[in-house]
Amino acid sequence: MKRPLILALSLLVLGAIFFIYTSFNKKHTDVATADALQELSAYELFAAFDASETEATQKYAEQVITLSGLLLHRDLSNDQEPQIILEGDGNDGFIRCGFKEEYLQNAMNLTDGNDVKVKGLCKGFNDAGDLDLLADRDVVLSNCILIALD
Amino acid sequence: MKNISIIALATIAIITLAFRQHSGGVYKTNTGNISFFSHTPVEDIAAENHKVKTAFSSANGKLQFSVLIKDFEFEKALMQEHFNENYMESTKYPKATFSGMIENIGMVEVTTDGTYTCSVSGKLTMKDVTKEVSTTATFTVKGGIVNAKAVFNVNPADYNVKIPRTVINKISDNIKISIDADYAHQH
Repeated sequence: MKRPLILALSLLVLGAIFFIYTSFNKKHTDVATADALQELSAYELFAAFDASETEATQKYAEQVITLSGLLLHRDLSNDQEPQIILEGDGNDGFIRCGFKEEYLQNAMNLTDGNDVKVKGLCKGFNDAGDLDLLADRDVVLSNCILIALD
Repeated sequence: MKNISIIALATIAIITLAFRQHSGGVYKTNTGNISFFSHTPVEDIAAENHKVKTAFSSANGKLQFSVLIKDFEFEKALMQEHFNENYMESTKYPKATFSGMIENIGMVEVTTDGTYTCSVSGKLTMKDVTKEVSTTATFTVKGGIVNAKAVFNVNPADYNVKIPRTVINKISDNIKISIDADYAHQH
């Protein structure tokens, strides 16, 4: 009678240890292998945040998305995270896509003014509101990778 | 002779005006770095953000920051998840902002290479709570780029960050915030 109980308790303890270990060592989202929530254009993504930051944050933040758009320029001013800027609304709205350091060369190989497609983790909308020196508005993506255009 | 003197004076005035207009502009970056570090005997926690939007006016010393909370990256995914969901509630409060002044901006020669130390103070807003903060910043001008570095400390409790009792010994009540940003002149 005692033996099955000890066995059950042991399995329970082992299960708990396994759960805690896997939770604690949970990996960051691997953008390359993760399924994208949605494929959309840079204009569509910017428009969603521009219309309602709250709704768009709930829908897209921390989600992997695939995005196509016009590359305005590359911003390589931070060597820890090379970034590219896509047109968001043709005015003061942009999509800012950050890459890991190892993708610096890929970012450098891009040509401003061309269409590009990226897959990345959406982080939200950096709209500084009434801070007048920070008037431009960015939807921000991180851990991006380049995707071949169709 | 008189005409030549007038032309020379006018030229000097135009050059001085042009220089003042250049030196009195806005310096900005969207790729600033903010990191934070929490040290306790039990655990050290660090995170970094490399897409900080910040600008200052060399004319009046106004200084502003806007940073997305979800864009702080931790070594461990679980820590990042807890930071966003439990402590910062970053879906509800997605940004932290700072609006303040570089108090002695007049001493920073943004067109001449050199290093300048300035006092900075202003309002830091996180989770809808605004508090005054002040620190000393080092501005280094090199080749037209103005690098700013500053460090200050915050207590999470001041910004309504509730730490559960079970992990209170793992999170410092004096978190070190480090800023490092390269500003370029906005044309």
